[in-house]
Amino acid sequence: MNRATSLKISVSGVRGVVGESLTPQLVAKFAQAFGTYLGRGEVIVGQDSRQSGTMVKKAVLSGLLSVGCKPVEVGICPIPSIQVFTKQARAMGAIAVTASHNPKEWNGLKFLNKEGLFLNYHQVDEFLDIYHQGEFSLVDVDKYKVPEYEENPTEPHAKKLLSYLDVNSIARGKFKVAVDCCNGAGAVLAPWFLERLGCQPVLLNCVPDGRFAHHPEPLPENIAELCRTVIKNKADVGFVQDADADRLAVVNEKGEPLGEEMTLVLAAKHVLSQKPGPVVINLSTSQAIDDIAAEYGVPVIRTKIGEINVVETILSLEEKPAIGGEGNGGVILPDVHPCRDSFTAMGLILEYMAASGKAVSELQNEVPRYFMIKDRIDKTQEETYRLIKEMRKKYTDKGEISLMDGMKITFSDYWVHIRPSNTEPIIRLIVEAKSRARAEEMVGFWRREIAEISKWK
Amino acid sequence: MKLLKIGISGVRGIVGETIVPELVMDFASAFGTYLQIKKVLVGRDTRISGPMLHEAVLSSLISAGCDVLDLGICPTPIIQFMVRKLEAGGAISITAGHNDLKWNALTFINQEGTYLNVFQGEEVLDIYHLGKFDKAAVDSLGKLEKTENYLDNYFEYLKKYLNAEAIKKAKLKVIIDPCSGAGAGVIDVFSRYLDFELIPVNNEPNGYFPHDPEPRPRNAQEVASVMKVVKADAGFLLNSDVSRVSIVAENGEMLSEEFTFPLIANEYLKRKQGTVITNHSSSRMIEDVAKKRNCLLMKDKVGQSFSIQTALNEDAVIAGEGSGSVAVLEFQPAFDGFLTMGFILEIVASRRKKISELVEELPRYHIVKEKIYCPPTKVHSVVHEVKKLFIDRKMDSSDGIKVEDENGWVHIRASATEPMIRIIAEDRSRENARKRAEEVMNFISTLVK
Repeated sequence: MNRATSLKISVSGVRGVVGESLTPQLVAKFAQAFGTYLGRGEVIVGQDSRQSGTMVKKAVLSGLLSVGCKPVEVGICPIPSIQVFTKQARAMGAIAVTASHNPKEWNGLKFLNKEGLFLNYHQVDEFLDIYHQGEFSLVDVDKYKVPEYEENPTEPHAKKLLSYLDVNSIARGKFKVAVDCCNGAGAVLAPWFLERLGCQPVLLNCVPDGRFAHHPEPLPENIAELCRTVIKNKADVGFVQDADADRLAVVNEKGEPLGEEMTLVLAAKHVLSQKPGPVVINLSTSQAIDDIAAEYGVPVIRTKIGEINVVETILSLEEKPAIGGEGNGGVILPDVHPCRDSFTAMGLILEYMAASGKAVSELQNEVPRYFMIKDRIDKTQEETYRLIKEMRKKYTDKGEISLMDGMKITFSDYWVHIRPSNTEPIIRLIVEAKSRARAEEMVGFWRREIAEISKWK
Repeated sequence: MKLLKIGISGVRGIVGETIVPELVMDFASAFGTYLQIKKVLVGRDTRISGPMLHEAVLSSLISAGCDVLDLGICPTPIIQFMVRKLEAGGAISITAGHNDLKWNALTFINQEGTYLNVFQGEEVLDIYHLGKFDKAAVDSLGKLEKTENYLDNYFEYLKKYLNAEAIKKAKLKVIIDPCSGAGAGVIDVFSRYLDFELIPVNNEPNGYFPHDPEPRPRNAQEVASVMKVVKADAGFLLNSDVSRVSIVAENGEMLSEEFTFPLIANEYLKRKQGTVITNHSSSRMIEDVAKKRNCLLMKDKVGQSFSIQTALNEDAVIAGEGSGSVAVLEFQPAFDGFLTMGFILEIVASRRKKISELVEELPRYHIVKEKIYCPPTKVHSVVHEVKKLFIDRKMDSSDGIKVEDENGWVHIRASATEPMIRIIAEDRSRENARKRAEEVMNFISTLVK
């Protein structure tokens, strides 16, 4: 992470480094602004398992109380569970204390509306205006509320999952499932959930104390321990969640990581085989989804990067989409809740295993094979903007161009997506091709091309 | 005009106006930065605004790298006791004592369990003004622990100090009104340890006060009304953090809070002679008591911070104020409502006398306490102007102005907590006491229009 900007305020909330930018004072101000934005009422407050969670959460509670909100604490809780609970509890909104997959020195706030959805761009705009103006609706003591603590906040989420999934069929599979919660918020629900599905869980890093046993992003290089555990215990499958339990990566029965792109691919294949419907994914998600959708004759709708964009599109479509998500292991099943949910993802993959009677490695081989490479190049937003302008001219009739988010060009045997990062001063360069060699070759080509075009200015 | 009072040992203001998360956090961060031993106790009274301040204080102390022992709702004297017991670096008590519900405050307590003295308070203020607070990185953030069962520690110590045997034998019936403050519920534990029959009034810590949380006769109606009906031996009123007590006698007389300190001193100085500390606004009763017991009496400014600090410096044995505050130094250097109540019960039990009889042993004065609004920016100059009223008289100006003669006195000073000037007058006759106060009130009202 680039420490020059240890504070990030964006559409996905606030993120900062504890001991540097993320002070109690700053956090309380955001909570006051959010409480002012929502109006006086119940606000759910949850957290992932980070060590700094208590410090940040207490500042949030103080800020909410001062503007006359009634905080309902749900403690350490997976993000999707907070989202479902917020909607069910008919609260005004929620604040989740989390920095998602960032390293442990980071923490932050995510803001949810009364539907249990992340604020969209317009809502974030309104809310940030209040923050920047600094005029919060502080109340007198006669309007103060008494905070509450909810003992069982994962229940509504768990109920929805169990009623959606074919529990009996999964249970008949008697699967042995290795699960790595990365000592994150998922640990409060994952063991119970897998047992309720009739699986035999093998737990790894399931103490929600925020001592991340590895980098909390479920990339292949971070999950060697899970792979070994799968082999040692002869498990049927391995799952790894990120720190706030919205994303999931899968390891097959041979102890090989599938790559995070495969989570949504397998889930989509299974869902479409049962109940075809449109699929909503972001621009960088694998081409494999298009191939599978074509098999079932359903449309694929692509959106800008960012969970909220996928969710907003899902909600705006006339025909209810069957599934949506992101290639980073974020599976969205509108029937459960329009949010990324690692538990839904686990459930769908187990259901797929049960329904097909096949091993994960076999399922993996049945889907179209692509290789994706994600690269990054240091560049400011401004430089990226100018670069894309130039490239657009050069490539205007050489491939199919999308300018929805940066620039994505689809060629006959590969695609490339070049866009500024939302969270860091870098360009993200993503290439997907049918073979690893081709993908590597084209990443090299586009790195040189970017360097070349950057020289022109 | 927004009300905010920054004193030596804390900060006090109106919730929603000046008492907002950011201010509370800045002060708590400054205190956490100031502490040498990074282990702090935190407790609060029952005010509805308490959780807002409490969460802000916990967040800031953790962020400053202090380990925090959270006592939850807890009377200030018990926090003070626990600081020494647990060898903590200090404590923050979140309470506005006798102020009404719209107020709240932070009180800073040092390693010795006393309010910060002038030097310590100034250092915290310097850090606050500088705004450079310690910010711990994630691995050195403070830990938060809940502390359970600490009431037993305190009440065992109290029971050992008092003549618990005598109190038990006397089978006393006692009414206590904690005003739904931090004493609510805790008085039940108190009664179990000292074996008396408790009749509680306003004993629910629900965040609201049934009357002004200032222990004085005009708030004592409820206690007084049941006193005779249940034939109780004593009645007590507490402020919201149990640092002050006023007494209702067995005959239903609602005693002025001025009696609390002299009643205890009159007995205590018999057992142990030594210097007595009070302030300039307290009744002459204590002077007479000290004289009778051949003890030296010294006066300091109003407020726990001054009285206790002076008591420690002068090696005094007892300190107290006319507001109903008493500290017996060998027990602990803190104004302590439980010790105060316990001591009165012990006197009643061991001397087999009724409270009304104990009161008879004290000289009777009449005290009048008034206050008059004055803009905070003018208070001190107005107090200074009042000197003109007493040009040919001997004046003591160590805390406001005090003018005395053989029959009584009048004391004029700026309030430490409100935009008010306080006028306190005392005389052998009620009428003269009133006259003394009215003379000053009339003069001030011509200055403050």
